[in-house]
Amino acid sequence: MDATQAGKRGLRVAVTGASGDFGRLLLPLLEKDPAVESVLVLDVARPEGDKVEYHRVDLTRHDAESELTEALSERPVDAFYHLAFLFGRVRNGSLAHELEVMGTLNVLAAVGRARIPRLVVPSLTAVYGARGQHPALLREETPLLGCPHSRFVSDKVQVEGQVRAFRERHPDTRVLVLRFAPILGPTVNNPATRMLKRPVVPTLMGFDPLWQAVHEEDAARALHRVLTTEASGEFNIVGQGVLPLSGLVRQAGGQPLPLPGPLFRAALHALGAVGAGGLPVALLDYIHYSWVADGERAETALGFIPIHHARDAAAALRRS
Amino acid sequence: MATKGVLGNDPFQRGAAERPTESQSSKKEKASGGKAAAKKKARPDKASSKTGKTVELPAAQKAKTRKTPSAETAQTTQVPAIQIAKTLRDQKAATVSTKAAKGRKPAPSSASPEDAAHRLREPGAPGTPRRRPPARVPVAGGSPDATLPRTPREQEVDRVLATAAAAEATEAAAEAAAQAAVETMLAFQAQQAGIAAAPPGSLEEAWHRELAAAVVAEAAEAAAEAVLDAALSAGTSGSPQAASMEERTTIGSPFLEDEEPPSSSPSEVTVIDRAYTGSDDEHEGVDADSAEVKPEEELPDEARDEYPPERATPISVVPPLPSDRDLPREPFFTDQAQGQPDPAAPRSAGMFSLAKEIALQALAGASMGKALGTAQGLVGVVSAGLGISGSTSLDEYGRDSELVSELQPLLDFLYERYWRVSVQGADQIPSGGAILVANHSGALPYDGPVASLAIMRERPDLREPRWLVEDQVFHAPVLGTLFNRLGAVRACPENALRLLDEQRPVLVFPEGYQGLSKPFAQRYQLKRFGRGGFVKLALRTGAPIIPVAIVGSEETSPLLGRIPASFLGVPYLPLTSPLPLPARWTLRFGDPIGMEELGPDAADDLAEVQRLTERTREAIMGMLQALLRERRSVFAG
Repeated sequence: MDATQAGKRGLRVAVTGASGDFGRLLLPLLEKDPAVESVLVLDVARPEGDKVEYHRVDLTRHDAESELTEALSERPVDAFYHLAFLFGRVRNGSLAHELEVMGTLNVLAAVGRARIPRLVVPSLTAVYGARGQHPALLREETPLLGCPHSRFVSDKVQVEGQVRAFRERHPDTRVLVLRFAPILGPTVNNPATRMLKRPVVPTLMGFDPLWQAVHEEDAARALHRVLTTEASGEFNIVGQGVLPLSGLVRQAGGQPLPLPGPLFRAALHALGAVGAGGLPVALLDYIHYSWVADGERAETALGFIPIHHARDAAAALRRS
Repeated sequence: MATKGVLGNDPFQRGAAERPTESQSSKKEKASGGKAAAKKKARPDKASSKTGKTVELPAAQKAKTRKTPSAETAQTTQVPAIQIAKTLRDQKAATVSTKAAKGRKPAPSSASPEDAAHRLREPGAPGTPRRRPPARVPVAGGSPDATLPRTPREQEVDRVLATAAAAEATEAAAEAAAQAAVETMLAFQAQQAGIAAAPPGSLEEAWHRELAAAVVAEAAEAAAEAVLDAALSAGTSGSPQAASMEERTTIGSPFLEDEEPPSSSPSEVTVIDRAYTGSDDEHEGVDADSAEVKPEEELPDEARDEYPPERATPISVVPPLPSDRDLPREPFFTDQAQGQPDPAAPRSAGMFSLAKEIALQALAGASMGKALGTAQGLVGVVSAGLGISGSTSLDEYGRDSELVSELQPLLDFLYERYWRVSVQGADQIPSGGAILVANHSGALPYDGPVASLAIMRERPDLREPRWLVEDQVFHAPVLGTLFNRLGAVRACPENALRLLDEQRPVLVFPEGYQGLSKPFAQRYQLKRFGRGGFVKLALRTGAPIIPVAIVGSEETSPLLGRIPASFLGVPYLPLTSPLPLPARWTLRFGDPIGMEELGPDAADDLAEVQRLTERTREAIMGMLQALLRERRSVFAG
């Protein structure tokens, strides 16, 4: 029932959100991987690729679950990558919420019904939240405190909750949750890259929290690696080393601009009111307190060892 | 050279064991100065002898004064000088601007470190001497104007304007030369002083250099300013004779000097003063503030140095007597001045090369490098504290090894000279993971870094220790970031376990926040030891508990009051000395608390945990009391 049995005929992989950041990172690797026989893309847009089998599914529709079930019963798969998460600039927060939370519910129901042996869901280390009372290194067991006022993070926390519940109900499905540190690289677009690509990055005066970063190549390798791994559970996927926020900004070619806390908040609120805010007020925590995840488990259980240091990842941002 | 005597007065040396014999030694050292030194001293001695009239002169300086021939002449000619001053008011008017420049620079360069030392010793002094130059100018300018219709101020202004162009040309050259001269002088002095001080210890030598180098930077700046003035005045009345004459008149007129406070009284320093000395030296090392103040004191010396470049003669050759010779010629002086508006212009090229050479030498000096390193470290601290360092050398706990190594000279200074940390029983620390339990004290948690520094220095074989600090420190804006960069880790079981896993000594302060917030009156009284988290940790990991008593941190930053500051994210801002005070520190590591018979299960036994907690607390209390009994003085010794 697992990847092992599929060795003879090649792996069949289903992917949602193939045109998102994660999908664009993963698909080329799947294309190149000789062990992969076909890639079933369940998305609203058809990506390029020889192995791609396309089945149009809109996860935000109410009938998405039946569509998924139908597609999966037509072409049974060995692994399911649920990558339909939004990292770009989101204009419509409620639509994003529909896609991420309700879409995941649909996916989980379909995966459970189709008894797919392997499910991979990406997440963020941001789900731990940045808190003053956190230990220096966050292990996977750390409760997911998230960031209550941010839809972006709260949705991921909700998704993780659903996935955990699913795992308990379906012990025969190997569920892997990859919590990525901020992914930096020339082709990705997420809140971290948008923040770091600015020439001047406002920071909180007197605070310089530790950040991690994972290079997009490392992120892609991690996603690909879990296709065949024996382990299951949650894993922090982080790059080598940690950098203070100011160091990350400098490496990315920007200049940190420390602002006193109250002024910073006022400015953010003002920008938010105008609708021009780049960094949501809710994400202030992350430039206030360190949020360093411990990548040891991914290293031992998944055998994932990052190649790139956080500063290389940031520097890659500058070159792009 | 003269430098020996100068740095012999250095507070740090005095802070060391030789304190009782200090005045004698300084006397001796001064006496041992060569002829050149004596010459150099001549001018400052004159000045000091004058002050001696109004104020009691220190023995050392009196001796010095008698030693130097020019000083004698100064004393003998004092009365005549006053008469001369009266007769020469006309010339004075002409040389007003010179005087203004001159007023700032009566003391020779050799005296500058001495002045600095004096300043350091007496925190009260800084204000008055600084005001000296401006105060004098009006006096000098006012009397001539009143008596002299021939040369009104306007005329003078015109002259200055006329020669401004020429002065500008010389300005740059003179500036560079003077700066460089000061630098070399100080560097040489530092080196020589270091050599001279070798018996006390090579460390002292190192510190001398550091001090001198720190002085250099500021002195150079001040020199530049003063040279600017000098260059301008040189345009109007730049002849050396005029200057020396001018100096003469200043010497002769005691009322001018009355405004100058007795800034130097080395032999009257008390023990308490020494404490302040330390703190002021700390200013030197740590803060730019005091350094900023100092340049004014340096001015005199720089002026002295600036002299020689103008004449294009070696620095040390400053003939003290020409002034006497020039006295009769005074009537012609103004003509001369007009005749040669820019004496320095043709020599600018030579001065440039000289300056370059000197500057290179100064830069090559180890002292300079060290001072620069320290300054760099301080800049690093500030930028790290503000959160703009951009450092890339952090470990996962947030310690910035680059910053720490940049700060090493400063930390070494604080550790060895400022706090004079003594460590007892460091060999009690077993290798591998160990929990060091210490008392927490002082308004600001200096004890963590000091203790970890002590462990690193005394036991280089161990892995680098970390200390755990309470959340509150991490919530504080700059302090938390800074402590994190220096190696503090937030106190929580996860962090402690991880650190012990890494076989590191972990320093914990079970009193936590309470230990920091106790008022000075309750110093060294242990608060409750939390919930015994460290005992549970020890029981679970099998790491030994080592009690540690730390004495000195309460006096380093006494908590005098609290300013509520919840808006900053901290419960209060401690009202304490902005800079750490130079208390002596003593660390004592005790015998490990035995608990071999207890297994990890005992961690759940509250009574057992409580018992071990209490035992540790008593062990620390006992060591603290013993240390306090043994301590003879808080700051001295």
